[in-house]
Amino acid sequence: MKATGVHLKSVKKNFGAVDVIRGVDMDIERGQFAVFVGPSGCGKSTLLRMIAGLEETSDGEIFIGDRDVTNEDPADRGVAMVFQSYALYPHLSVYENMAFSLRLAKRPKAEIDGKVREAAGILQLAEHLEKKPAQLSGGQRQRVAIGRAIVRAPDVFLFDEPLSNLDAELRVQMRLELARLHQKLGATMIYVTHDQVEAMTLADTIFVLQGGHVQQSGAPLDLYDDPSNRFVAGFIGSPSMNFFSATIEDRSEDGVVVRLTGQPDLTLDVPLSQPPSKGASVELGVRPEHLIVSQSEGLRVTVDVAEELGGVSYQHGTLEGGDAVIFQQAGVRHGMHGTVQTVTPEPGRVFVFDTEGERIR
Amino acid sequence: MGAPGQSLQGEEAAMSKAKRRRRELRAAGLLTAPFLFVFLIFFLYPTYKVIALSFTDAPLIGDGQWIGLANYAKLLNDRLFFTSLWNNLYFVLLTVVPTTVIALLIALAVSKLKGRMQALVLTLFFLPYVLPVSVVTLIWAWMLDFQFGILQPLIAAVTGKPVPVFRNPYWVMPMIAVVTIWWTNGFNVLLLIAGLRNIPEDLYEAASLDGATPWQRFWRVTWPLLWPVTALVLTLQLILQLKLFDQVYLLSNGGPFNSSYVVLMQMYREAFQLNNGGYASAIAMVLFLVIVIVSVLQFQLLRIGGRK
Repeated sequence: MKATGVHLKSVKKNFGAVDVIRGVDMDIERGQFAVFVGPSGCGKSTLLRMIAGLEETSDGEIFIGDRDVTNEDPADRGVAMVFQSYALYPHLSVYENMAFSLRLAKRPKAEIDGKVREAAGILQLAEHLEKKPAQLSGGQRQRVAIGRAIVRAPDVFLFDEPLSNLDAELRVQMRLELARLHQKLGATMIYVTHDQVEAMTLADTIFVLQGGHVQQSGAPLDLYDDPSNRFVAGFIGSPSMNFFSATIEDRSEDGVVVRLTGQPDLTLDVPLSQPPSKGASVELGVRPEHLIVSQSEGLRVTVDVAEELGGVSYQHGTLEGGDAVIFQQAGVRHGMHGTVQTVTPEPGRVFVFDTEGERIR
Repeated sequence: MGAPGQSLQGEEAAMSKAKRRRRELRAAGLLTAPFLFVFLIFFLYPTYKVIALSFTDAPLIGDGQWIGLANYAKLLNDRLFFTSLWNNLYFVLLTVVPTTVIALLIALAVSKLKGRMQALVLTLFFLPYVLPVSVVTLIWAWMLDFQFGILQPLIAAVTGKPVPVFRNPYWVMPMIAVVTIWWTNGFNVLLLIAGLRNIPEDLYEAASLDGATPWQRFWRVTWPLLWPVTALVLTLQLILQLKLFDQVYLLSNGGPFNSSYVVLMQMYREAFQLNNGGYASAIAMVLFLVIVIVSVLQFQLLRIGGRK
């Protein structure tokens, strides 16, 4: 089971009295593309740097393959890292930047040349080998940083927010290139980002981190369709989920009847296998694309901002009580700005959370 | 109706443009005037006077006869001048590279410290630089005093007997070099620390992931990236140490047997003790040219070295 990949066992990290990582277990199989995602300060970069060996591990064990690397030097772990700042050596040419680790290891010249040129070929850097990093564009520098990692042929690639210094268009392009690179190399990759779109598009497995814990892990769409708590539900998905406070009005055959706070004329039937008792306060989550405009009873939303993107549009508005609501419209151009719309949640697409934020299924 | 109105507007625009330009020029003139004034009166004019003086036989005060290049010709046959020049170069050899190496070692050590501790240690190293030269030389004259100096037992332990360092022709220049390095090193440490702080931490992280040992991290990352600052320190030191005067004047007065006599000392003696203003100016001019040539040469060499 443990023969390959990266495995963390109750890993902890504290800086003095501050606990940053509070016990993380994870298994990343060989060849997987794993993404750590979370808001800033959640400890995702620290966790990556601990795997790289740039931060000491306060407690727990880190395995790469079947080796315990918890106390190994960074260079002996078989990992290569791509930094947010790229961390290219400014005084060396692109070629020498990529050859750096092999030169240190005193590899024969022919081998170095072969490996550097192969990596340059993969990354379309062949014409830029003699240039200094300062003469390259942001995207090219990013490729050099990736090339430097490829040349070392590591067991695990680590990426620390590698695309956040690029402009939006280049970011999308590099995202695709990274996905293709992963298919081509088939190596294990761990990628840190705060951008959940990057996480959704790149990952085989997403680890959502918050407060030094893994909140939930799994395939991107599993997290989207079946979040295990309010934090993951709100964090995954763009624009993020709508939340409404509500009370359990009654139990029905296969679930509950809930009434939204401040909406006396609307009740919803929600199927639940473990329904809470009558009168309990809960929170309902509905994604913007699951709020349907209807002519009948529903939530009355005053639309104040309409984001028209062509294919889809996002209508931002408020309920009568003042709660913010976003709903999505596809393929139609209504010009809803300034109007009052009635929306109802699609049946079966309502998530229920208890007051602690845990999902009630 | 439209056309004349437009041309009138065009003229107005041109006027206001000219007016704005005049206003900018006036502001520029006002802002640079104080510096220009000081520069002309206290630098350019005296420089011109020294050059002019070096072609005359003038005393220190008053005019003299134009004698062409006679002062320079005399300088070429002045054995004391060549002794002084040689002593200057010997002193440069003793100070410039050693002080840079020592400053680099201190800077590397200090940059490993954190927060307040770093500030404290840096202050300690910088403290001598704040002292005036007379205090510095007094401290060292006492510490190295032949009879009572606290450093004499150390010297005795190495050489077998106490040495009157400022009255010994072999010891005098190296000792003045030690005093000078102790005095001025803090400033170099400061420059190099600033240079070290400019090297991003993640380069070292990348290097350690690439498998670089601490030694390789220094020679392959720190050294090449710090080189511009190192070259600056070397050049500043070269210029400073060629202008050596006060330490020698206060510690050994050029002796013994002229073994610590330097060019500026000779200039001082010719001008203010022998009243030979013209000849002293010629000496000053030659030292000026030596400094310019050597420092430009060195800076170019260092730049080429850095580019490779």
